[in-house]
Formats: sequence, C-alpha cells, structure tokens
Amino acid sequence: MVGRGWHIAMGAFLASGLLLLGACERGAPPPPPRFTIAALLGEQGAGGFARATAVRPFRFPADHGPHPGFRSEWWYLTGNLRGADGREYGFQATFFRFALAPGPVTGDSAWRGNQVWMAHAALSDPAQGEHLADERFSREGPGLAGARAGPFRVWLDDWRLGADGMEGEWRLQLPARGFTLDLRLRPASPVVLQGDRGLSRKGAAPGNASYYYSIPRLQVEGRIRQGERGITVTGLAWLDREWSSSALEPQQAGWDWFSLQLRDGRNLMFYRLRRRGGGTDPHSGGSLSDGDGLIRRLGPDQVRLTPLARWRGYPVEWRLQLAGEPHGWRIRPLLRDQEMRLSIRYWEGAVEVIDEVDGTPLGRGYLELTGYRPSR
Amino acid sequence: MGRLLLLTTLRHLRRQPWQSGLTILGIALGVAVVLAVDLANQSARRAFLLTAESLSGRASHQISAGPAGIDEAFYRRLRLELGLRRAAPVVEGVVTHGTGRLRLVGIDPIASSAFRRPGGGLAPDSVRRLLTEPATALLSAATAVRLGIGRDGRLPVRAAGRPVTLRILDHLPEDAPEGLLLADIATAQELLGRNGRLDRIDLILEPGQADTLARQLPPGLRLETSASRTRVLEEMVAAFQTNLTAMSLLAILVGAFLIYNTMTFSVLRRRRLLGTLRALGVTRRELFRLLLTEALLLGVVGALLGTGLGILVARSLLALVTRTINDLYFVLTATRLALEPALLAKGWAIGLGVTLLSALIPALEAARTRPAEALRRSRLESRLRRGLPWLAGAGAAGLLLGWLLAGTDSGLAGGLAGLFLLILGYALLLPPALAGLDRVTAPLAGRGGLLPRLALRGIAANLSRTAPAIAALSVAVAATLGVGIMIGSFRATVADWLGYTLRGDLYIRQAAGADALPPGVRELVESLPQVAETSAGRHAHIHTDRGTVELLALEPATRSSRGFRFAAPPLPRLWPRYTRGELLLVSEPFAYRHRLRTGDRLRLQTDEGELSLPIGGIFYDYGSDRGLVSLVRSRYARLWHDPGISTIGIYLRPGVETAAAEAALTRLLGNRMDGLEIRSNREIRERSLAVFDRTFAITRVLRLLAIGVAFVGVLSALMALQLERGRELALLRATGLTRGQLVRLVLLQTGLMGLYAGLFALPLGWLMSDLLIEVINRRAFGWTIFVRLPAGALGETLLLAVGAALLAGLYPAWRMARVRPARALREE
Repeated sequence: MVGRGWHIAMGAFLASGLLLLGACERGAPPPPPRFTIAALLGEQGAGGFARATAVRPFRFPADHGPHPGFRSEWWYLTGNLRGADGREYGFQATFFRFALAPGPVTGDSAWRGNQVWMAHAALSDPAQGEHLADERFSREGPGLAGARAGPFRVWLDDWRLGADGMEGEWRLQLPARGFTLDLRLRPASPVVLQGDRGLSRKGAAPGNASYYYSIPRLQVEGRIRQGERGITVTGLAWLDREWSSSALEPQQAGWDWFSLQLRDGRNLMFYRLRRRGGGTDPHSGGSLSDGDGLIRRLGPDQVRLTPLARWRGYPVEWRLQLAGEPHGWRIRPLLRDQEMRLSIRYWEGAVEVIDEVDGTPLGRGYLELTGYRPSR
Repeated sequence: MGRLLLLTTLRHLRRQPWQSGLTILGIALGVAVVLAVDLANQSARRAFLLTAESLSGRASHQISAGPAGIDEAFYRRLRLELGLRRAAPVVEGVVTHGTGRLRLVGIDPIASSAFRRPGGGLAPDSVRRLLTEPATALLSAATAVRLGIGRDGRLPVRAAGRPVTLRILDHLPEDAPEGLLLADIATAQELLGRNGRLDRIDLILEPGQADTLARQLPPGLRLETSASRTRVLEEMVAAFQTNLTAMSLLAILVGAFLIYNTMTFSVLRRRRLLGTLRALGVTRRELFRLLLTEALLLGVVGALLGTGLGILVARSLLALVTRTINDLYFVLTATRLALEPALLAKGWAIGLGVTLLSALIPALEAARTRPAEALRRSRLESRLRRGLPWLAGAGAAGLLLGWLLAGTDSGLAGGLAGLFLLILGYALLLPPALAGLDRVTAPLAGRGGLLPRLALRGIAANLSRTAPAIAALSVAVAATLGVGIMIGSFRATVADWLGYTLRGDLYIRQAAGADALPPGVRELVESLPQVAETSAGRHAHIHTDRGTVELLALEPATRSSRGFRFAAPPLPRLWPRYTRGELLLVSEPFAYRHRLRTGDRLRLQTDEGELSLPIGGIFYDYGSDRGLVSLVRSRYARLWHDPGISTIGIYLRPGVETAAAEAALTRLLGNRMDGLEIRSNREIRERSLAVFDRTFAITRVLRLLAIGVAFVGVLSALMALQLERGRELALLRATGLTRGQLVRLVLLQTGLMGLYAGLFALPLGWLMSDLLIEVINRRAFGWTIFVRLPAGALGETLLLAVGAALLAGLYPAWRMARVRPARALREE
C-alpha cells in the first residue's frame, strides 16, 4: 500500500522538484521559489533520519502511534459506505506527519518542534455525482496536531481519529468544508504486515523502503453530513499505516494503487510503481489476505494490470488478472471525478470489482492514481 | 504675432535674471515646503499602514488581551474545539540593536499562510530553517542593507534585556515594512521570554462568526476588527501629522505673498513696453494671454525645481517624522519616500495655482489699461489707496471669522482653519495700517532730516510694493514668535511636570522590549541601607469602554502622592481611597479626549470580568497624548493576575549621595543587572527634555523654511522697489546725494520696513501662540500648557525682522550705489 501515501508523500517530498520539472517539460519557465506548505514539506534531504533497512518486530498498540525519527508517516483510511437512504458513498481520511529536520529539538517554547502535519479528507457521492475534498495543515505544538499510541489517537485541529470509550473501537470525527464524517470503526481482520514482514522495499537503493502494515477490514457505522443533510451509514474501511525516510527514485514516475475487499473474504493490495516513459518497476508488489491474515505476497509478475478507460488523463478503469484466478476482474470507479484538487493533486476514489466474464459483483475497494499530469 | 510676443517675454526673462530667478526661487520654495511635508507625512503613514496591514495580512479580526497576553491554550481550543482554522497566533515585541529598535514579530508560518503576510514570497528552505532552528529570523530588506547584514548574516540584539545573536536567514520581500524582524513563533516566545503566551490571534471570520466567537471568549480577551485596530493606531498619529500639515500651509501662505509680489513686479516693470505693445496693435486678449503664459512658464520651472528640492528636504524630514513617532507612539521605521503622483500633483497645483492667481491681477490690470496711459506706477498706487478701505473691511472680517471659528467647538481642523483666517485677515489689515501709520509718522519725519524723511515717505508712497513685503515678513516672523512662545511654554510646562512627577531619587526599569523586572530585585534594593523606601509601578495596556489605554499600576511610596497635580479638584479622601483601589486617576489628555470629569465612571475589562470604577482625579500628564490611567497596584495585580512590576522608584535616606547610592545599587544587583537600567532623577529629566527637543526639531526646521521663504520675499520686493526707483535715485545722486548716503537711504528704508514688520508681528505672534496653545494643541493632544513668554522673545522678533530686512536690502543698495547717475538718467 505504498501507493496511497506514497504519491502524496512524494508530492510533499519532491513537490518543488517535480513542479519545476513539470513546468520545464511544458516549456514554461520555472516558477520563482515561493513558500507553499507543500514546498516546505518537500525541501530536505534524508540525512540524519532513521531508515527502514531491516525487518523489525511490530508491537501494538505502540506502533499505531508515531515514529518521529522517520521523515514521514501516515494514517490512511478509506472505505465504502451504504446510507440508510440506500445510496453508496466513499470516504477518505488521511493524516500525514512530516519531520522538517532530524534530531532532537532545543528550545523551551511549546511551539518549538520539527513535526508538521497535513490531513486530507474526501466524501464521494456517486448518486449525485459529487466529490468533496478538504485539507488541513498544522505544526505539531502546542497540541495542535499529533498522534499518541496509548490510547491511540491522531489529530489535526478538530479532525481526529482515535480510541473513544468503547474497547477495541475507534472513532473518526472530521468536520470538513461541505461535509462531516462521524464514524465508529471496529477492526474486523488481523493486522497484515506488508512486504517482507512489514519491510516494504520501494527501490533498488538500500534503505529505500518503508515500514508498512494494513488493517484491511474495519466495520464502520456512523453518520455523515453532506451539506445540510445527515445520513446514517454502515460499511467497510481499510487502514494503511506506513513510515519511512525515503523518496521515489528518479526513474519512478508515480503509482497506481489498489485496495480491494472481495465478497469471498479475501483482500487484495497491489501497487504498480510506474517508470518514467512507461513500464512497471520491478519493486511493484502487494499481498493477498483473508480473515485469518496473510495468504501470500504478490510480485509484479503475479498481477497483470491493463488500463481500460481514462478520465482527464487518469486511468480510472482497469482490468486486473491475478495469477491463479480463472477470470479477470474489471475495476470500475463509482464516480469518474474523484480527483483530489488540493495543494497536491491526485486521484483517489471508490471502485467496484466485477467478474469480467459474467459481470458478477465481486467486491469493493479504493484506487489511487498519482504522478499523472491531468489534462483539463 | 504670438511667437513674437513670446520672444519678448523670453527676452525679458533673460534680461532680468535676478528678478526671474527670485520669482522662480519663491515658487520653488513654496512648492518644496508643501511637497516635503506632504511627502514625509505620507511616507510615514504608508510605512505605518504597511506595517499594520502586512502584519495582520488579510485578517478580518483580532483577538487581543490585557497585559499578560493570551494563554496559548486558548488558541488550541480555538482550533481543536471551536473549529476556527483561519486563525494565526502572533507574538510581538521590540528588540534593540545598538541604539536602534526593531520590531520582532513571531508567527506560525503554517497557520499564517492563509493571511498573506510578508514571508509569503520566501524560499521554502528559509521557512523550514525558521521553523526548526532557534534564534533565526528574517529581516526587512532595506533595514538589512542599512545594517549591512547579508543572507545568513548575524545580528546581535538585546531581547528582554538579554544579549542574543540572531541568524538572519534571508531578507524579507520588498513589500515588507522596514525595521521588521520576522521569526517563528517559538523563537519569538523564547527571545521575548513569553513562553506560553500570545500577544494576539489574527482571524479571518465569515460574517456571523464574529458574534458567536465574541460570546465564547473568556474574560480578559477581546475581539475587534482589523480595521478598528488600525484606525486606533492611525488616530494616534493623526493629530501630530495635522500639525505638520499646518506648518506647511503656513509656508505656502508666506510663499503666496512672495509669488504675488514678484509676479506683480515683473509686469509693472515692463509697463512701458506693454504700453508700446498695446500702441502697436497688440490686443488686450493677446497681452493678457502673454502675461499668463509667462507666469505659467515661471511657475512650471519653479514647480519643477520645487519638486526636486521638496524631495531632498522630504528625506531629512521623514527621518525627523519617524523619529518623533518612535519617541511618542510606536516603533516605526520608514526611509523610503512614497512618491505618489497625487502628492506631486498637489504640490504642483498649489505652486502653479498661486502663481497664476498672482499673475492674474497685474495681467488684468495691464490688459485693461489704455495704451496711451502706459500704466503709470502712480496709477497703481492711487488705485491701491482707493482699495484700502476694502482691504481693511476684508481684513477685519477675516480676523473676526477666524477668531469665531477657532473659538467654537469646531475640532482640530476648524481650529486650524480659524488660525489661517486670522493670519490672512491680519495680513490684509497691514496696508491700511501702514497708510495710517504714515499719517502719524509724516509730521515726525519732517523733523528728522532728509534721509529718514525720504526713507519713510518712500515706504508710504510705494505701498503697493512695500505692503506685501512687510506683510510677508511680518507673518513669517509672527509665526516664529507664536510657535516659539508655544514651544517655550510647552517645554517649561513639561520641565515643571517632570520636576514634581519624578519624586524618587533613582529609578530602575527593564530595558526595551522586556516584560517585567526579574523577581526579587525590589527586595534586594530595599535591603540597601541607603534606601529609605521604594515605590513600584507596572505599565500595561488595558481595555476600557473608552478604548485601549495605558495603565500605570502604582504602589506609591509615602512621597509619591505629591507626584500628581490635578487639573480640577479631586474627589474627597482621594489618597486613602486610591490606596484601597476604590478609584482611578486619569490623565488630562484621556479625560479631554473622552470628555470625562472627576466623578465619572470608567468600565474596565479585567481578567475577572468587567468592573466600573469612579474617576477620583484628573492629573496633568505630558508623557502620552493617548492618555494614562492609574490604579493602585495591589488591585491591578488581583484583577489582571499580573504580579509583575516594570519600574522601581527609589527614595534615598536624607544625606545620601545619589551617585554613591547608584554605585552601591549596581554592585548589589551585580549579575542581575543584565537588561536593567538604573537612572537618576536628573538623568531621566534630561533625557525626557532631549526627547522633547527632538520632537520639536521638525517644527524648528519648518519655521526656518517659512522664514527662508519670507526672506526671499523681502529681498525680491526690495529689489523690485529699488530697481524701479532707479531713476528717482539717480536723480538724487545727480543732485548731490553721495554714494554712501544712497546706501544709507536704501538700508534705512529696508530697516524701517523690517521694523514695521517686526512691530506688526508682535500682536500677531502673541495671538498665534494663544491659539496654538489654547486651541490647536488642546484639540490635538488635550494638554494644558501654562503660557510663559520666553525671555527676550519680543526683542528677538524685532531683531529677526530688521535683520532679515537689512540683509535683503544689502544687494539692492549695493547695486543702486554702483549705477552711474548719468547713465540711469539717459536710459529714460
């Protein structure tokens, strides 16, 4: 599940560089350096930060909390919901932590600190053709944003996710521009350690890897507000957790990331690392798991991906052939425009999975497309 | 024909370089003074607005608090619970660099990114280092250049009394105000010793949000719109700037006399030529147009010169203006001139307008005359004499109207308008008065010998020429006298006030930018055997129903009470009630501004909620024109949860030498001395008066400019007069007057003109000082000034007038003496 945080983090890590590159490719002069938060998050080397170089033991709930020695980290929640009104909804809630500098902090102001937080949230309403998105930024101190392990919580301003009274249950409270999410989440599957026991390689360079785990199924119930309308909802969410100090390698252009929850109880995560000029990077990969945990790791050869349709340059519809499966799957967006038009631009949306031969619905999921230069 | 006429004009201008030069100089000086004051004012205002606006950026509202600041936990609540995310915290203070002061503003670059503050155009790397490295800041580009600090340079400052070396990561963009150090909020808190506290919170609120928020504010916090905040600051300097503008108007008034005089002369001098032109068939219209074109030509050249000169003068004036604002109001740095086209246009319009108006009368005159008449001087004189009653009437009306306008409740602008009407009226009265004077002196002159008689009669006979010159000089000299009396009285009043206010022998305070004195200092001081007792004071800004005001929380010593003098009888049992915190004392400017009387009540917003206290007395205070409120410290500390003190007054035992005590104190405080200032009573008094003198340096400069303009006026009038009378004087020479006698005659005459001007200036000067003190200053600042006539002021005024006149007469006298009578006569 590198993909999800990955591009956004990549956007953050390399924003200035990529922006310049993009502008140059279009023949425009590079823009003057201006302070934007995205650029701020992008401007530093990895020197001095902890690196993901070896397999490590994961401990919970401690590892739900932050790992400030690493340069970046995220809590990534996506899900498909069904409303009491019979309509389908998709939602995303993501908290990103970035360290602006490594090492200890000196100074006694509560504002002193190296950690900066960003959060993205979205609500998709395919029936209405509406996709709402919002973002927040904040420094960590004094208590404006942050994460804790016991009891678990992560917050930025009045957006928060964390333990809330009921044992084993989390609550997401997120009042955003145009919509509000208020959801209770209960893990319904074990933690899946991605990559090699949680060490997920992202490139050839040593240390170019992350620590990465998922909870592929969380039972969701709660309420959402869309404008003035409140709806009771139930559904299924997916949590991704990842921390690292590395960035995309120069030849890597972006990611197509899939998290699919199938009706037969299996969950598939796969990210395709795209190389510049086309082609799949050999470090692409994923996993297949079920209600008891991991079934098998997936390499780039075990998943064949073919884009079927594009929306403004984003390949929003796919054919996916999993090795050993009799039929290919069609992955279709519930809504074509699920673009996140925030300070970093990417596509993140709810999808359905159907059997390409008999059209049987197989499941639901989320798709993330990053590193594209969307056409208007 | 038009071209030919123009050539005549150009030739005339070339042949009379002195006359044209003086006219141009007069116009240039007038334009320069007006422009310089306008430019300096406007530039200071722009710098101020830029500071105010760019620091709050797009904020629509601000939350501010009392002296203790805002608990940063409230900011967290604002974001986490009230969900206001367009909110940005600010920590603000002053740090010193050498003798200069810089405004340190600490922001959260991330929260402020929505506010478009300076810093918006910075390299991301600078912002990242600002956030992560302690003691880093960004400095205004102009200031950095002035101080010679490059990127990544080091800037030693004192913050909260401690020496710190700041690393200047980068310069702020050009649109940032000068004198600004922008730092991360963590750095600002650490440097200023303000951990945990914010000075304000900037907000962008939607309509309707403000009311909801205002209801949720804890006691002691206050929500106000950015506009009202800026307005309050702006009002602070408005009165000061109005006074400056008034001085510049005075200069233009004197300048107008000058321009009028020279323009009239330049026409009259050519009366024969003009007559000839008319006889040759040049129409009136053409003649009229010619003269106006000529005036326009002179006006344009003069205005151009004046613009350059004005910009030069404005540069030094701006330094004076900002220094005064710094001394009196707040930290402001402005070195860039705001060369706005509108301002330049205004200066030009005034210069050209006055020039054309001045030319209009003689031009009409010349055009209306029949060619044969060739406009004789005598005709002009007789016309003036016929107009004298009218002038007298207009002058009296002006005087009366001005007096009425200034006397009624017409505000500062009304007061100033009244003052100008008064001056104008007085000036109009001068020609009739001079004519009247002639009737008195004529019999006397008959007995005084030939030269005095000639001199006296010359003045009266050429009234059209001499009267404007005398009036211009008189007004300028009177302004010097009036402003001199005002400043002298003011200074004496302030010196008196300092004398009875500063009761202690020594004072200790924290150096600039600091919050409170370190705890324990007072106890240490009291442990000294030389010390009889101490008083303690705390300066803070509090919110009242009459706006924000400076508060002095005083813990008086037994002698402190004598430090207050009251403008009206205070309430009975004042001191016991003050000591118990049952009443407030307010300063005179505060009471004047808000029309408060002894016994009225003032509502205070304290951290314990709102409180209403009666005003026990209104005391004289010249420390601030914004006003000062005093409450006993024990009550203040409880109400605002602020036990700190900012000053200690030390009363020594009888017989103890101040210097010895100061040395003992310095030894005692030792390493705690860092950032503390010990000042003796005398030192404070001297420094305060130095600040006072610095403040009025501007006035002095403007006064000199006005005199300069008047001097040029007298010079040009005399030149005109003497040159015009060339033939007359040549006749005198031919009939036996020696060269020396001629020089004496001219000097005697100019000296007499100076004397007249001086004599007439005395009552006008007195009148002006009275208006300045009782009306203008009172309305602008609310201070009572006790009038005191500076010794010798009257004599000095006469000397100045006569001296200026004599000086101006030297050149014409020398010139007239050089002319050979035969040639002058032949030229006829």
